Amino acid sequence: MLCLPLLAAWSDPPLETLMRRLAAVQRAEATFTERKTLAALAEPVVTHGHLVWRRPAYLAKITDPPDAETLVVDGDTLTVSGGADGEHAAPRRLDLSGEPGLRALVDAVRGTLAGDLVVLSAAYAVTMAGGLADWTLTLTPRAPEVARYLTRAVLGGTGAALRSVAFAQPNGDGSVMTIAPAGGGAS
Amino acid sequence: MSGRVLRVALPGGLPIGLALAGVLLAAALAFARADIRTDMLSLLPTGESAAARLMLAEAGGGPAARMILAGIDGAPPARLAAISAAMGAALRGTGPFEDVRNGPGAETGGPEAAFLFGHRYLLSPAVDADAFAEPALRAAMRNVLRALRSSAAPLASQFGLADPQGAFLPVAGAWIGANQMRLRGGVWFAPDAADEPPRAVMLLMTRAGGMDVAGQDASVAAIRAAFAAAEPGSARLVLGGPAVFAQEAAQSIRSDALLVSIGSVVLVVALLLWRFRSPWAIAAALVPVALGVAAGLAAVQAVFGFVHGVALGFGMTMLGVTADYPVLLIGHRKQGEAPPATLRRIGRAFALAVAAALLGLTGMLFSGLAGLAQIGLFAAAGLAAAAVGTRFLLPSLIVAADLAPVPLPGPARLLRVERLRAWRAWALLPAGAAALFLAVLGGPRIEHDLVALSPVPAAALADDAALRAAIGAPDAGLVGVVRGATEQAVLEREEALLPALDRLRAEGAIGGAEAAARLLPSIAVQRARRAALPDDAELAARVEAASEGLGFRADAFAPFLRDVAAVRTAPPLTPEDVSPPLLRARLAALLPHDGAGWFGLILPADVRDPARFAAAMRDGGAEALDMGGEANALVAHVTESAWRWLGIGAAAALAALLIGLRDARMTARVTAAVAGAVVVTLALLTFAGVRLTLLHIVALQFVCGIGLDYALFFARRRLDAEERARTLMTLFLCNAMTVGSFAMLALCRTPILRQIGATVAVGALAALVLSFLLTGAAESEA
Repeated sequence: MLCLPLLAAWSDPPLETLMRRLAAVQRAEATFTERKTLAALAEPVVTHGHLVWRRPAYLAKITDPPDAETLVVDGDTLTVSGGADGEHAAPRRLDLSGEPGLRALVDAVRGTLAGDLVVLSAAYAVTMAGGLADWTLTLTPRAPEVARYLTRAVLGGTGAALRSVAFAQPNGDGSVMTIAPAGGGAS
Repeated sequence: MSGRVLRVALPGGLPIGLALAGVLLAAALAFARADIRTDMLSLLPTGESAAARLMLAEAGGGPAARMILAGIDGAPPARLAAISAAMGAALRGTGPFEDVRNGPGAETGGPEAAFLFGHRYLLSPAVDADAFAEPALRAAMRNVLRALRSSAAPLASQFGLADPQGAFLPVAGAWIGANQMRLRGGVWFAPDAADEPPRAVMLLMTRAGGMDVAGQDASVAAIRAAFAAAEPGSARLVLGGPAVFAQEAAQSIRSDALLVSIGSVVLVVALLLWRFRSPWAIAAALVPVALGVAAGLAAVQAVFGFVHGVALGFGMTMLGVTADYPVLLIGHRKQGEAPPATLRRIGRAFALAVAAALLGLTGMLFSGLAGLAQIGLFAAAGLAAAAVGTRFLLPSLIVAADLAPVPLPGPARLLRVERLRAWRAWALLPAGAAALFLAVLGGPRIEHDLVALSPVPAAALADDAALRAAIGAPDAGLVGVVRGATEQAVLEREEALLPALDRLRAEGAIGGAEAAARLLPSIAVQRARRAALPDDAELAARVEAASEGLGFRADAFAPFLRDVAAVRTAPPLTPEDVSPPLLRARLAALLPHDGAGWFGLILPADVRDPARFAAAMRDGGAEALDMGGEANALVAHVTESAWRWLGIGAAAALAALLIGLRDARMTARVTAAVAGAVVVTLALLTFAGVRLTLLHIVALQFVCGIGLDYALFFARRRLDAEERARTLMTLFLCNAMTVGSFAMLALCRTPILRQIGATVAVGALAALVLSFLLTGAAESEA
């Protein structure tokens, strides 16, 4: 009897196994460094901050000054304050169900953290490289309206921890976020 | 047994059967040849003021009248969203609909957004020389930089570099409008309320005008079909909007009318069989009615060129009185009597009753209101044909079938009934009390509110208003109107009003206002905006200076330079240039026109101080119209003139009575009986809190018609007891048919049918009682 889960894990393709392991993570906190390369700007934009993930659908990205911004996604609602609106503006609330493009970006990160292959596969063609200890997921948008501003997303990790998120846009803009576990880390 | 009765009855009844078949064929032919219309517009009088004209144009084709709101509830939100999306996809851009909205999708993507973004430097109020000066440009570029460094970078790259000052934002805001809809699954939901289940909301604009009943029927059918095709499961579709209400009302009237028709046919058949014991009596009763319908249809078609559904419906109701004619004839026939003998006894009273009723109808005929005139002509022609048929066709048919009433009970009972006339003076009491009651009140209360004529329940209207507010649709109450010979003149005059509107909004008098000039500025304003744009070299120099040291690459603002350069050589936009259909429809709704010129509609939302809005409109040379008030004034005008014509008709009938009876005292008695019935009915309606509408006028006309029959038949003198008993029984029979049928109508759900039913049932009963007491011979006179 004890052998059964082991057998199942062994016989599963590695992507499904990875997803199951990611899905077991209830909450995680991490620090990040993001490096954005924009066609309009001569120098890359580098920002720092931290991330909070709580199953099933809460994800926060808090960017430190000078580019302070708090971005929280919970369920279908995205709330952002600071950032483009400046420090003192009221928080802006968006419904992701009305913003298919934004929703796809959120799903790329949140779907991976949640280990939800159904959500990921709905929006992207998903390929996995590497092993369970050190993996890379490449997500290519399926819908043309998403492909208009996202060429692909590449997420990397070790075990059940997400270590990097990279977005590439058709206009040459791109960003790479490097993630380091902080606080309790993966539990 | 019954077989034997039929065998005996059949040969004699054959002529009646043939006659019935003949008149039914004539009625069918008249139906086939008639051009029956149902649009309400052809019934309304032409407007006298420009405001009334606009009101009528709007009622027919205006945006408020063409709007259908659809709510979908009764399932989980995700399922509702999927149904809404499927319905939107099925209905959008097809046949009956000009615009189908169930979410923001259409404006934020697709041709609409591309069009507005491409023309932002002509359309945006944020464009002036200052916005293109170096300091403003530098402030704008700092904002773009901040956005690029934030999570909004993809948006900033796409829009900010081409539109650093954000000229597009107010354009998008004006065209997309304000609504409180919540988005779920990409579609609109009604704002969350604690006690209400989630409801997806769609807004549909029909191509057919609001009063085009057939077109609206097709639109509603298409929505229902799309809903059914979206596999709704447990979900429920709720439709709102004036056109839908009208359609639902028509349907409930139809089903009510069907029920009542069946009920009254059963009643009438039972009464006729009881009194005459022959199926041919029913056929005989039908002959004049069918003849009347055929004649009424043919006459209205010949005079007006079409027959309105309303005239057909009410006209046929009024022709119900003609079913009394054969009953009066058969009811007065002695067993085995030849036709001339019966006619000698009742011919005069019959002819006079018909003539007076016809004259009474002339009032409606000449009222100048297409609707009333059609009903009047239909009833008058039908009445005349039915009377002629009864007088010249029916007698020989009746004799052939040997139709006659069953033998009467002995004269003793008759005398007991007639002895009631000793109390005749008391009859004046209720009539006098009713007249006094009305006099004290200053006359019956007349309804001036158009809503009262609406068969829609008040609760449904309230739901509809709440949904409209949520969806940001203008409510059709208070409207500012600017007029001009050309579109440009209207736009320019609206532009002069915009600062005052902004002030009202800032001060809280209104929540905002929609106007065509907010969406599409006049050519003059667009030229001024174009002139404020710096030329290519100048702008390039300013952009370079403004972005100095901010870290942008040299060509970062190339899209901005390109778009400005394109606008500087482009011609200004006119309403015809606005090609995306959604935008075009929205603009057209605010900029209607008729033969004489163009109207600019200024639709305020959330009006808290109507007086200040109206004052601001007048100060700016515009009119402030209360659309509800205009409609009500129109109805009041129509109602008032209808009452006047009813009075004129009554005077003509009175003259006919004086001439026909050659007896002033008897004329006074007949008049007292009929007028008393009308007064008692009016007093009872008023006492019950009913306000009188046009419908009551039609119903009272009917009461007068049958009241005359009763009064004149009772008024015949020098009759033996047997004949008096026949008259009494026959009139009781006629009255039972009328009161029974209309009492059933009074039990309907539809308010208009209920009112007609109650009015006629009460009126007919009062007419019988008063006629019996007042015009019949008392013992002393007999």
